[in-house]
Amino acid sequence: MKIHRRIGALRKMKCFPCQFSNTVKSTQFNTSALMSVFEQADIISTVEFNHSGELLATGDKGGRVVIFQQEQENKTQSHSRGEYNVYSTFQSHEPEFDYLKSLEIEEKINKIRWLPQKNAAQFLLSTNDKTIKLWKISERDKRPEGYNLKEEDGRYRDPTTVTTLRVPVFRPMDLMVEASPRRIFANAHTYHINSISINSDYETYLSADDLRINLWHLEITDRSFNIVDIKPANMEELTEVITAAEFHPNSCNTFVYSSSKGTIRLCDMRASALCDRHSKLFEEPEDPSNRSFFSEIISSISDVKFSHSGRYMMTRDYLSVKIWDLNMENRPVETYQVHEYLRSKLCSLYENDCIFDKFECCWNGSDSIVMTGSYNNFFRMFDRNTKRDITLEASRENNKPRTVLKPRKVCASGKRKKDEISVDSLDFNKKILHTAWHPKENIIAVATTNNLYIFQDKMN
Amino acid sequence: MVFSLSGGKRYMLGKGGKRKFDEHEDGLEGKVVSPTDGPSKVSYTLQRQTIFNISLMKLYNHRPLTEPSLQKTVLINNMLRRIQEELKQEGSLRPVFVTASQPADPLSDNFREAQPAFSHLASPSLLPTDLVSTTPLESCLTPASLLEDDTFCTSPTVQHDGPTKLPPPALQPVKDSFSSALDEIEELCPAPTSAEAVAVAAESAAGDSKAHPCESSVPKPEGVAESRTAESKLMEPLPGNFEITTSTGFLTDLTLDDILFADIDTSMYDFDPCTSAAGAASKMAPVSADELLKTLAPYSSQPVTPNQPFKMDLTELDHIMEVLVGS
Repeated sequence: MKIHRRIGALRKMKCFPCQFSNTVKSTQFNTSALMSVFEQADIISTVEFNHSGELLATGDKGGRVVIFQQEQENKTQSHSRGEYNVYSTFQSHEPEFDYLKSLEIEEKINKIRWLPQKNAAQFLLSTNDKTIKLWKISERDKRPEGYNLKEEDGRYRDPTTVTTLRVPVFRPMDLMVEASPRRIFANAHTYHINSISINSDYETYLSADDLRINLWHLEITDRSFNIVDIKPANMEELTEVITAAEFHPNSCNTFVYSSSKGTIRLCDMRASALCDRHSKLFEEPEDPSNRSFFSEIISSISDVKFSHSGRYMMTRDYLSVKIWDLNMENRPVETYQVHEYLRSKLCSLYENDCIFDKFECCWNGSDSIVMTGSYNNFFRMFDRNTKRDITLEASRENNKPRTVLKPRKVCASGKRKKDEISVDSLDFNKKILHTAWHPKENIIAVATTNNLYIFQDKMN
Repeated sequence: MVFSLSGGKRYMLGKGGKRKFDEHEDGLEGKVVSPTDGPSKVSYTLQRQTIFNISLMKLYNHRPLTEPSLQKTVLINNMLRRIQEELKQEGSLRPVFVTASQPADPLSDNFREAQPAFSHLASPSLLPTDLVSTTPLESCLTPASLLEDDTFCTSPTVQHDGPTKLPPPALQPVKDSFSSALDEIEELCPAPTSAEAVAVAAESAAGDSKAHPCESSVPKPEGVAESRTAESKLMEPLPGNFEITTSTGFLTDLTLDDILFADIDTSMYDFDPCTSAAGAASKMAPVSADELLKTLAPYSSQPVTPNQPFKMDLTELDHIMEVLVGS
């Protein structure tokens, strides 16, 4: 199968169970047993490769960011790419309390976006529901030694005992990775931030909440510009919210935002300061044969991603992935069904809230394959050229590294073949919401509830 | 059963196995059901009613520590509105759900605005009086007897052109006074200017239409800057703005019911293995539980729980009334 030649059989590289149990969060409001408090905080909420693919950042429900770094390729082991190891861990956001509303502000990291590297340090933006922070991650592998007034352990020397002077020199030390917050962009969002996106000018970025989108300059924290506002004058008339937003990868004046009604609006910031009027509206007419009570809910777009080329964009709604050509507004150019077998279960999924799960989607580096997650720890890939698709599972059962993943199949109805899984035995608590694809190589990161799996394709 | 007849070919009712509620429910989803067919209209109505109840539960039984997701709230609201629109359009075939005002909740500080969002639609919403008014309930929930006869479409028509309250049938003296007591409770609009509102509400006797007194008596609470508990859904930092869920007009007497009604058997409400696994264990409001029980009674072997609420003591009601009015 051609898709296997492209993606290859994916081999599991490493599985990182989150082992943060030693961090006790005293402000946790979780009332269940102590063990589940730790587990709750470990839930991965975002995954993102940096621009070179060397670093992989994850954010979790406990407000922590963990960065993995790819090992430098070993010349002797040219048959496999470097593995990812933990590079840095830091607490990005803390839980807060909104006194006006008597409500907790979750520290869960909703999104992480990397800035392109300009110098030795790395920068990323991380956001929770209300506050965005710019973090600088820098390495330190040298330290000065030979101070005149300080001992090596830091104690101050008595100046009267100094008889000679020396010039301190830098000596190598064990690598230390430090993360420090450089900017804090706060108090600009009344509603929950769902997206951040860095502009191609690398100076500005947008942040989107349910009803508004703000434009920031990376250097200025006390001011942001509102560029989209869909809040109605009378909140009772509110029927639509913003679900995701992204800047175009090449045009610094263009961005899109998606809504809970299944529409995507493309806006041009040159047109006016407040981009409430869209330049393009992407919407597919509803299929009358599939109409149900839940049509609106399943049409709500949970993620929108531009292709690397900037010509296409991909949207994820509850049951499908759609690829839109920016030049055609009335329908997508490609539609891929992720788990159509769930269409007959929508009422149950509505009752247990699974219908509101926000799945993300991603492109591979060459924009030829798209990937998204599903339930039962399944994730799906669609090859746009061959129109083939594959379902894979991220689980600990195939725990040994270098195990080749076996394609999975869900049996919708009727006779279940061997090795197929029936819809009724799917575990809806095991959902893969966040996936990421290395920008240059066929390495993917897949986040289950609190495990991160990194797969690479088999190189022959 | 009736579904295996003419409507059978359109519905995937399980695989020939025992017809449980969840199979029945799953089989009906996603199909184009024209509400004009005979028995198929019943299943459509049933499903719609179920979804309506689930949506109400989601909005009002959730007590998060953090702000609930606005997207989720908006989607659930849209669902409820759509169902209400349908109900309104179907008009004479369906009982009228009178627009409810928000009753005062004496146990919490959860004051909400009184303006129902759908007052302009003059559309109905659930009432505790529906508990006692069996006629409207029956025509809404299509008990088995009506299904077999397929006569539900011709059930007694109910006014649909305005927010008039249905006179509850005088089945039992207890029910009548109970419903009247509840009416008075509902008249209490929990605005900060409640002194005025309560006075107005207390004047209106049972049987008056609900929406108008509350709409006219309670001015929009501009300048209200109360801190609200987590039960309040959307919060604006500026005073005077409305929360969307409180203004949907859907009944919030569920909190009232928490006071009045103690334990209701909710075992009938288990849907799916996957739903129970997800732990959707929120306590059901007696209003919807009761209706569901009536709905499910024909299709399940479990006995319907006796109507505990109707055996409420009169004196207890009076006492509660005094508490509510006095606060």
